[in-house]
Amino acid sequence: MSIENNNIETSEKTDITPKADIKKSDKVEMTPVLGKKSLSKEAKRANRNLMVRRGINTFLRYFVLILVGAIMIYPLIWMVGAAFKNNSEIFSSMNPIPIKGTLDGFKNAVKSYGGNINIWKSMLNTYSYVIPQVILTVVSSVLTAYGFARFKFVGHDILFGLMMAMLFLPQVVLNVPQYMLFNKFGWVGSEHYLPLIVPAAFATETYFIFMLIQFLRGVPKELEESAQIDGCNVFQILIKIIVPMIMPAVVSCALFKFMWASNDFIGPLLYVKTPAKYPATIFVKLSMDSDAGFDWNRVLATSLISIMPNILVFFAAQNQFIEGISAGGVKG
Amino acid sequence: MKKKFLSAFLATAMLATSLTGCGEEKKETTEATTAATTEAAAGDTTAAPADDAAAYDECTITFDWWGGDSRHEATQAAVEAFEAKYPGINVEINFGAWSDWETAKATEYLSGNNPDVQQTNFDWIGKYDADGTTYLDLNTVSDVLDLTQYDEATLAKCVDSKGGQAGVPVSVTGRTFYWNEATFEAAGLSVPTNLDELMAAGPVFKDKLGDNYYPLVIGEYDRAILVAFYLQAQTGKPIIDENNQLTVTQDDLKKGLEFIKSLEDAHVIPTIPYLDGEGADSMDKSQRFINGEYAGIFEWDSSPAKYVSALGDNGDDLVVGNVFPELQSYSKVSLMFSISADTEHPRECAMLLNYLLNDPEGAAIMASERGIPESKAAYEVVNAAGKINPLSAQAHEEVMNSNPLYWNPLFDSSKLKGDTSTYTTVFEQFSYGMDAAGSSYDLDKAAADLYNGYMDALAQ
Amino acid sequence: MNKLKKFGKKNIGFIFIIPWLIGFLVFKAYPFLSSLYYSFTDYNLFTGKSDGFTLQNYKDVFTIAVEKTALITTFKYAFMTVPMKLVFALFIAYILNFKLKGVNLFRTIYYVPSILGGSVAIAVLWKALFNDNGLIRSGFALLGIDAPHFMSDPKWALLMISILRVWQFGSAMVVFLAALKGVPTELYEAAAIDGASKTRQFFSITVPLITPVIFYNLVTQLVQAFQEFNGPYIITRGGPLGSTTLMSLLIYNNAFVSYDMGKASAQAWVLFVILMIFTMISFWSQKHWVYYGDEEN
Repeated sequence: MSIENNNIETSEKTDITPKADIKKSDKVEMTPVLGKKSLSKEAKRANRNLMVRRGINTFLRYFVLILVGAIMIYPLIWMVGAAFKNNSEIFSSMNPIPIKGTLDGFKNAVKSYGGNINIWKSMLNTYSYVIPQVILTVVSSVLTAYGFARFKFVGHDILFGLMMAMLFLPQVVLNVPQYMLFNKFGWVGSEHYLPLIVPAAFATETYFIFMLIQFLRGVPKELEESAQIDGCNVFQILIKIIVPMIMPAVVSCALFKFMWASNDFIGPLLYVKTPAKYPATIFVKLSMDSDAGFDWNRVLATSLISIMPNILVFFAAQNQFIEGISAGGVKG
Repeated sequence: MKKKFLSAFLATAMLATSLTGCGEEKKETTEATTAATTEAAAGDTTAAPADDAAAYDECTITFDWWGGDSRHEATQAAVEAFEAKYPGINVEINFGAWSDWETAKATEYLSGNNPDVQQTNFDWIGKYDADGTTYLDLNTVSDVLDLTQYDEATLAKCVDSKGGQAGVPVSVTGRTFYWNEATFEAAGLSVPTNLDELMAAGPVFKDKLGDNYYPLVIGEYDRAILVAFYLQAQTGKPIIDENNQLTVTQDDLKKGLEFIKSLEDAHVIPTIPYLDGEGADSMDKSQRFINGEYAGIFEWDSSPAKYVSALGDNGDDLVVGNVFPELQSYSKVSLMFSISADTEHPRECAMLLNYLLNDPEGAAIMASERGIPESKAAYEVVNAAGKINPLSAQAHEEVMNSNPLYWNPLFDSSKLKGDTSTYTTVFEQFSYGMDAAGSSYDLDKAAADLYNGYMDALAQ
Repeated sequence: MNKLKKFGKKNIGFIFIIPWLIGFLVFKAYPFLSSLYYSFTDYNLFTGKSDGFTLQNYKDVFTIAVEKTALITTFKYAFMTVPMKLVFALFIAYILNFKLKGVNLFRTIYYVPSILGGSVAIAVLWKALFNDNGLIRSGFALLGIDAPHFMSDPKWALLMISILRVWQFGSAMVVFLAALKGVPTELYEAAAIDGASKTRQFFSITVPLITPVIFYNLVTQLVQAFQEFNGPYIITRGGPLGSTTLMSLLIYNNAFVSYDMGKASAQAWVLFVILMIFTMISFWSQKHWVYYGDEEN
């Protein structure tokens, strides 16, 4: 509740399109507020007030952003620090700065297991199935979402219901029958990660279909109708109109799939049976022996190395949201 | 495809031979020689069975295990040495951490798709081999796998419902106490050797060191084991016997629970709410243990290394204690190796196992990565090479000196042991003094629930 | 022939869902139905023993204390977590949608908790924050407040898990952000001319336009909350006194610790039906509050 109030306070007197925005985006017209600028003395005073307010608002925004940001980033900072500590220091202090630093964690992290697998190879393994998964998931989900959101066909509502129902059963109870199925196909231990990749081609991730449908439904049909009159067929409409319109959503799907698939542990554990083919999620845990004990700094160091691409990918993919404005802003 | 290789078992007593050297040497041999001409490099055959046992097929076998870093490294090295020694046998390995390993294994067993050679847990015989068709009866390959290296009583524990030898015991383990000598010294005490001394230490700790200092720390499962030890000392029988019968009554369990309560009351052990307050899932992750506030643990003889490492610079403070005379211990097979009943190459699988477990060369490489070796030949070699953690060896000795009783794997049944199972709920609620709904939870309720939990588990 | 062509034209959309339909039939239908079948048996996967049809598993969910408590706890958890998470995610997404210097960096930082997911580091850290000597309690102690013992107080432990999930609000935030980017700036400009305050703009322009996405987040977050497993699994293991034992923790234990597939499946199907009902209510409620741009009126 207090969060919401806070929101209102900070946003009350702010302008949503400050200068930086105008410089950047060429398509946006001058905002009315700036348009009225420097007309009279009163306006000048009002303008000065506005500047002060704007300053305060900017300050408040940054204050909130940095405060919340610190809480968000702290664990990562702690992990970095802890990767340089020994076991006893990791559990005896919350201070991220190591007192007696050791490089053993990182030294051991890059060690290989009998030449079979090391952190770099495991990361390559991860992306060798994650990337196909992402591409196939996005393509198949966009097709399915388009079909459900824009067309009525025989059995539409029942099939839609069935699709949504797939969200509701916990994966735990599906694991065993699914394993038996893949075992019948002879895909268990497949060196091409078939049980992980193939289902992605068939829109098996309901979350994404549902998400794309929701975004699609927010988009008015007028553009498609006029494109149809211009002679575009349904596929052309999908590629030329729909996909650009919901690009932020498509990018979100790709991002989520990328993050979730590269964090998946139980899937690879069930279906990958050779250490040389192990992905990073399994590699990170390889050294963890609950009975004899293990070096936490090594586990933390491998974890850190293996999540770096995810952080970088997220950072890079954000630009897609910015571009998304031009698409979403087309609405008349 | 069926090529026969002639080769005597290499039982090089010369441990000085380095692994890599050995491996390379053999690889060269592989390249240089063809089929029938492989010769034995050494004639010394300490552990070698009959001569025709040396014959084998060229094949690929699969092998998997779980564990940590050093176990992975040692086992891989041993497998490589095996492949070098028996050219033509290719071993495909798979290994991982314990976390969720059993989930994956269970799924494999369900679909009948498991590797030829596997590291197995003692209770898996009951769980996954209930009908005796999952694991090969190792007696059928005893011409290759030397079972005489094992204590008969220990071997007998790894038998399935049909009397088949479902696994070969790699090591045997039991529990004893470990004490933080420095904390006891600070309290002006020496480490306890019997129950009275321990009980007396509680108040001294409280007075001299403070409320947050305890001579011993035990969680829910530890408490269940301690109750078993306590009651076994009184009955002289294993708490669950060979016929899957509970040998104690509900009243006995009540006495056991009272014993735990008396430890809490005397400030010997912290309460479960106090433990939950820190939330460490084992003591090596507990700040209080690392600081020396908890001066004793009750642990497996295979585990001291992680506690020593947790204590950091003060690792030397941890010393092994004896199993108190007022308690009657048990020991159990900690790990086994098994062969899949479906394997197409039982003989070669057995050869691999024999190499890893009994062959001085293989055993030396495997060292004590799976506990102190049960195989006599392996123990000699590993012990002579000084590859046994001294603390672990000492703890193992204490366990064995306490004349451990039989242990029934049903003691660890999922109905009893587990996050939402009997041991956790009973000992937790008993220590909190209330149940999940907030109403009071007394000794009678706890004893009844514990008893019913046992009955429920044994009824299966 | 003509009729067939007409039928084909009318049903052209069907082509697009064919991949999904194949996936559904091949990969989903069988596991799905077999779990339904198991739920009516006392099937033990390993002994293969089963006494045929039974409703016992379903009865147990509503009568056995542990299962009943887990069901109630799951409801509590969901109703605590979902609103907090949605409001927080929308608020942060709203701020991050402003053009501020360094906003890219902030977006990434805010997503970091979600990238860390259920890793070992989170378990260690979360306990260190909330335990008796942790930062949270020490912080309150500085203010002279004796904060609850989160780790050992059955009344507070669930909140701690809930906060973990609210903290990992990244996915919901990204979806909101993507939606906010789709709100045309012209609308705000027009509203500004009319003298609408930012608050009004937010509630009368922003919120209505992104209702389809709010709806999406609501449904998916509800589903995730009802299926929550990792939080209690890595931090409290269901304790203290079973106060964080959610349904999926029981399901996991039954499925992979006791191999009681019948029980696990029945519990899963109870969860399934609950979610189904909630989703049907939400879908039905849509016409009162969700605004779809593709609707013609």
